[in-house]
Amino acid sequence: MKNNKLYILMTLLVFVLLLAACGNDDENNNEQTEQNEKTADQAEEKTERTLTDAMGNEVTIPAEPKSVIASYLEDYLVALGITPVAQWSVSNGIQDYLQGSLEGVPTIPYDLPLESVASFKPDLIIMDSAGMVEGNKYDQYNKIAPTYVIGSEQNNDWRDELLEIGKVFGEEEKAEQVLADYEEKAAAAKEEIQAAIGDESAAALWLVSNTFYIVSENLSSGDVMYGDLGLTAPNVVQEISANTEANWSEISLEKLAELDADHIFLVNSDKGTGAEMLQDDIWQNIPAVKNGNIYEYESTSSWLYTGPIASTQMIDNILNDLVK
Amino acid sequence: MKPLKELGAKHTKKAWLVGIILFLAIIGTILVNLNLGVISIPPLEVVKTFLGLGDEYNSMVLFHFRLPRIVIALLIGAAMAISGAILQSITNNELADPGIIGINAGAGFAVVLYIYLFQNSMAEVSSISTFLLPLTALTGAMVAAILIYLISWKKGISPIRLILVGIGINSAFAALIIMFQLRMDPNDFTRATVWLSGNIAGADWTYVLALLPWVLILVPLAISLSNMLNTLQLGDDVAKSLGARVERNRLGLLFIAVALAGASVSVGGGIAFVGLVTPHLAKKIVGPVHELFLPITALMGALLLLLSDTIGRNILSPSEIPVGLIVSLVGGSYFVYLLMKS
Repeated sequence: MKNNKLYILMTLLVFVLLLAACGNDDENNNEQTEQNEKTADQAEEKTERTLTDAMGNEVTIPAEPKSVIASYLEDYLVALGITPVAQWSVSNGIQDYLQGSLEGVPTIPYDLPLESVASFKPDLIIMDSAGMVEGNKYDQYNKIAPTYVIGSEQNNDWRDELLEIGKVFGEEEKAEQVLADYEEKAAAAKEEIQAAIGDESAAALWLVSNTFYIVSENLSSGDVMYGDLGLTAPNVVQEISANTEANWSEISLEKLAELDADHIFLVNSDKGTGAEMLQDDIWQNIPAVKNGNIYEYESTSSWLYTGPIASTQMIDNILNDLVK
Repeated sequence: MKPLKELGAKHTKKAWLVGIILFLAIIGTILVNLNLGVISIPPLEVVKTFLGLGDEYNSMVLFHFRLPRIVIALLIGAAMAISGAILQSITNNELADPGIIGINAGAGFAVVLYIYLFQNSMAEVSSISTFLLPLTALTGAMVAAILIYLISWKKGISPIRLILVGIGINSAFAALIIMFQLRMDPNDFTRATVWLSGNIAGADWTYVLALLPWVLILVPLAISLSNMLNTLQLGDDVAKSLGARVERNRLGLLFIAVALAGASVSVGGGIAFVGLVTPHLAKKIVGPVHELFLPITALMGALLLLLSDTIGRNILSPSEIPVGLIVSLVGGSYFVYLLMKS
């Protein structure tokens, strides 16, 4: 008998909390609709527009977004001359290769905790993929600011993403210009490289936590090397790329010994911790290493990323290394 | 020797006292939780916002982000605590907990399977699914429970067999979960892992509504069955001679425990240890009479989970640590302490 009171009390508490919240919920919705109507009236040169994102959501984009959060898409923003209000970060770093344009921009964790996002008071949120807004998260983010999801697939083509982001900001022309400039640069670089090394093969490797990873043929730096610059892909690269969806795939030292690449671009994330793998005999006996055709980059370089700026920097790096 | 009646009254008074203390502690934690965060909202602002006078921004943070999350933490905490208490009582084993005997794994597997088959990506879970998920998880939990029951049946259920079979079932489902996870996109795999480790980060009111009926009905129901639970503690033979339908009662109570755990897993992922630790503590303080220690267990579970979430949200701000990990740390340490003491 006495215990009935206890759990009636508990139940009451929950109900009261619920009621208080639901009551205010309605009020907030009204306030937000009023705000949206006001923005629509202020039509300037760039008007507010409604676009449909990759997930089918109708998103009303403000006329001139002033505080954007586009985590992991900063490359595209920088290429279009837009500075976000917060930038992507993980526990051990940020996108160093973009800091020239992003210096001073505060960081936000890569998984975008709701309160962190809200604390920046953004007026537009762009999500890299549908995976970032699983469950009811889309509605949650959308409450903070109009949320636009760019890609619905696992690995989206960076050229498509660039054009899409251009569309979101009403900067389609600029996006196409950036793309055209890149293609021009890539074509010129391709000629120079052909002249310098003919059809010698190249591969990009990443050393982190004493494990080697090799880039896939059609993704990230692989796309730049083999797709844009016409470098030849060694057989191992082709083999591995056929079986994976990931940008970088783990490769054992034994498999590496089979790699007959003439040139190796190495991204060394273990530099600070000794990189003992590089002392290993098998590594030392790989032809490219023996011949000194190995070019090392730090984890602060753009080789691990994708986008117009990353790809441009990679082309510059490759030109520097191969065209002496 | 004091008359039995007096002993009972003393325990009841103690239970009330502890209950009130816990209740106040929960209120206190709620207030702290509302205040702390990436955006710190001073207590005065909190009160203003609750009265509808706060600014739009604070209202959004409080009512859409923090409050539903608090309510979910309380609900899951209470549900898991009671589930563990019931399991411990019907198996007469202090190590029983929905996580250990595979109920969580069964529920988790059902949800992973559902998403794999019907959604193809963790991303496209619509709001109808938010209500379907508890049912899916419940089905998975039931399947796990039925398997455990059938396999450990040998002219009745020996509590030890139940636990051992449960541990085996847990491993089996965990393996199945990994099997299906590996077939998902790498992105989904990570997300599934975070979800399975117990995470209430994106909690909103639809989740609360999905879980609320389960908790509001089953927790009081469990407490009202205290007499039954008390009887089972006397051992099967004594209980039977007192006229209790032992197997049937055990089955019914198992159903309640499984339902509570299943619904919780569907909303918050696999949060273990709450059901293990809180019944122990509660029994220590107010004694083993179910009418007294079950409500205390529920309150403790709610408090534990809420505290863990508050810590997880704020200790590495702005990053968030999933609540399941914090609870495992706290609960796991206590568990080790328990083992060391005995």
